[in-house]
Amino acid sequence: MLKLVQNEWMKLWSKRSTWIMVLLLVLIISAGIGIMKWTHKTQNIGIEEDWEQIVMNELQFNESQLLNPELSEVQLAYYEGLVEIGRYRLAEDVPPFEPDSMQQQILNSYTMLSLVTLFTVIAAAGIVAAEFSQGTIKMLLTRPVSRWKILTSKYLAVLLFGLLLIVITVAASAAAGFFFLGIGEGQFLAWNGSEVVEASFWSESLRMVGLSSVSVLMITTFAFMIGTVFRSSSLAIGLSIFLLFAGTQVVFLLADFEIVKYYLFTHIDLTQFYTGFMPVPDITLALSVTVLIAYFLVFLIISYWTFSRRDTTA
Amino acid sequence: MAGEPLVQLKNLSKTIGDKNIIKELDLTLNTGEITGFLGPNGAGKTTTIRMMTGLMRPSAGDVVIGGKSIQADYEEAIAQVGVIVENPEMYKYMTGYKNLLHFSRMHPGVRKERIDEVVRQVGLQNRIQEKVKSYSLGMRQRLGLAQALLHNPKFLILDEPTNGLDPAGIREFRLYLRKIAAENNVAVFVSSHLLSEIELLCDRIAVIQNGELIDIKDMHSLQKSQYLIVAEPAEQAGEVLKGIGFPVEAHEKGWIITTEAEHIPGAAKLLVGAGLSLYTIQPYRTTLEDQFLEMTGGGQIAEARAK
Ligand SMILES: Nc1ncnc2c1ncn2[C@@H]1O[C@H](COP(=O)(O)OP(=O)(O)OP(=O)(O)O)[C@@H](O)[C@H]1O
Ligand SMILES: [Mg+2]
Repeated sequence: MLKLVQNEWMKLWSKRSTWIMVLLLVLIISAGIGIMKWTHKTQNIGIEEDWEQIVMNELQFNESQLLNPELSEVQLAYYEGLVEIGRYRLAEDVPPFEPDSMQQQILNSYTMLSLVTLFTVIAAAGIVAAEFSQGTIKMLLTRPVSRWKILTSKYLAVLLFGLLLIVITVAASAAAGFFFLGIGEGQFLAWNGSEVVEASFWSESLRMVGLSSVSVLMITTFAFMIGTVFRSSSLAIGLSIFLLFAGTQVVFLLADFEIVKYYLFTHIDLTQFYTGFMPVPDITLALSVTVLIAYFLVFLIISYWTFSRRDTTA
Repeated sequence: MAGEPLVQLKNLSKTIGDKNIIKELDLTLNTGEITGFLGPNGAGKTTTIRMMTGLMRPSAGDVVIGGKSIQADYEEAIAQVGVIVENPEMYKYMTGYKNLLHFSRMHPGVRKERIDEVVRQVGLQNRIQEKVKSYSLGMRQRLGLAQALLHNPKFLILDEPTNGLDPAGIREFRLYLRKIAAENNVAVFVSSHLLSEIELLCDRIAVIQNGELIDIKDMHSLQKSQYLIVAEPAEQAGEVLKGIGFPVEAHEKGWIITTEAEHIPGAAKLLVGAGLSLYTIQPYRTTLEDQFLEMTGGGQIAEARAK
């Protein structure tokens, strides 16, 4: 199996498009941070205001949210945490990280994972489909290796690629943040339910990246399935990207119906439980995880079933 | 031991939709023997080969290779097989060497030295580090042959392997196949449209038409010792030859007799003795092409067959 994954890895990196994707990822992240610094500098943002003023404004907003009757328990708990942290900062004189600091860029790096989704989807869509379109599938399937092992090696290679891109995203955010902005002052604070504690911004960043990775995993697995079933990478890329954008919109359309609770895109963004932005407020983390696992298994079962059963005529 | 049964196609059938593409094929292939697989376009050669290599599932019947069923013991069965199905498609964005490395990793026990050895055998050593994109069709065929030979298969299946090879390449290829069949006792199954090529290469031919095996012939028995005799007047010559007791067939120019060479001088004497003008006595060979066209009727592709 290791050798098979090695094969897939070799094929992946023999394609120029793979290198271009990595390059683009690094460039876009660095450029984003570079441009941010430049606009802030030319517009004097974040330099005039002192942090107490900013925290005060945020605190007022968060306190007003606590009075919002439409919020669910999860969201209320979230805003409660923010309010407590804000009060603690002002009382104890603990500033947050400046927005123009390496630490804040690392904390934000999870928002760049949509790019990782895009690139991993491209890889996942093509990894089976391309074998069919190139005709190499018959070379691959006439070996003393069962079909499910071949499919598994391909899936693992895609996951590995996704993981690598995620690491690159965090690393590039850190490197560009350090280069353009430098290490800033501040302290990350967390609300553990009963008190405000000092916490490492690294562990918070990793948690958010980890939660966002679930979405990368789901969309990638979906693209892998479409590529395997229809043997067309363009269809798989197109459909996955379309779903990625349209899927979340549909959540709002369905919001009043019970069915929304079983809809993939209601649950795909697990960071919603930590950012308070929940399109369907009355869901729980447990429900989301259950629904996601169910979809995940369905995607994989369909992929394996078609790949190991269908006649190969390419 | 040469000539032992290695591969058996048993009642092999394939139906796609309502089309019977392959109908109850029974065929045995022996070690050390090269079997040609002939048939007009659309006869079902590639489909048969796809089923023999596990790419397609038979609708009925089975393929047994070295005692292992391709359906029940796929991995053990296919481990003995080297195959080129239609054009050998390779990963064009990788070098020839990396392609071979890739396939070698899928067979247990194929080492780097073996890759080099195979590369030398197919004569690609000067170009193996170039991307396959830059290869000519013939070079790709050679690389295709190399990947099929990597793991020293006992059974080699080749679907139109000489397509794109130059005359020297074809000759080399033929000699090479003959050599591994004879020395390594490999059973070889070659489909081709190049009848002259098959004629030189094969020990045996199997002819398929409309998905049915219509004939299996031994190439050595195919070549009877025959002579064309042209003499005037033709009628009378025929009588004389029949009188001697030779099997005689009419030919547009004269007569064809089936006999051994030592009887020819006698026949000539008798013809001349009977006062006939003798113009020609020459060895006569029917080409495989003539026989093939005779067997299959030649011409258009058969329409898709309903059940
Ligand atoms: N997937 C398929 N679905 C339906 N019919 C098919 C399929 N694959 C092949 N056929 C039909 O099966 C028949 C045999 O095709 P096959 O490719 O085996 O012929 P062949 O003998 O290899 O021909 P050629 O000499 O042209 O290579 C043809 O009539 C073809 O149209
Ligand atoms: Mg064919």
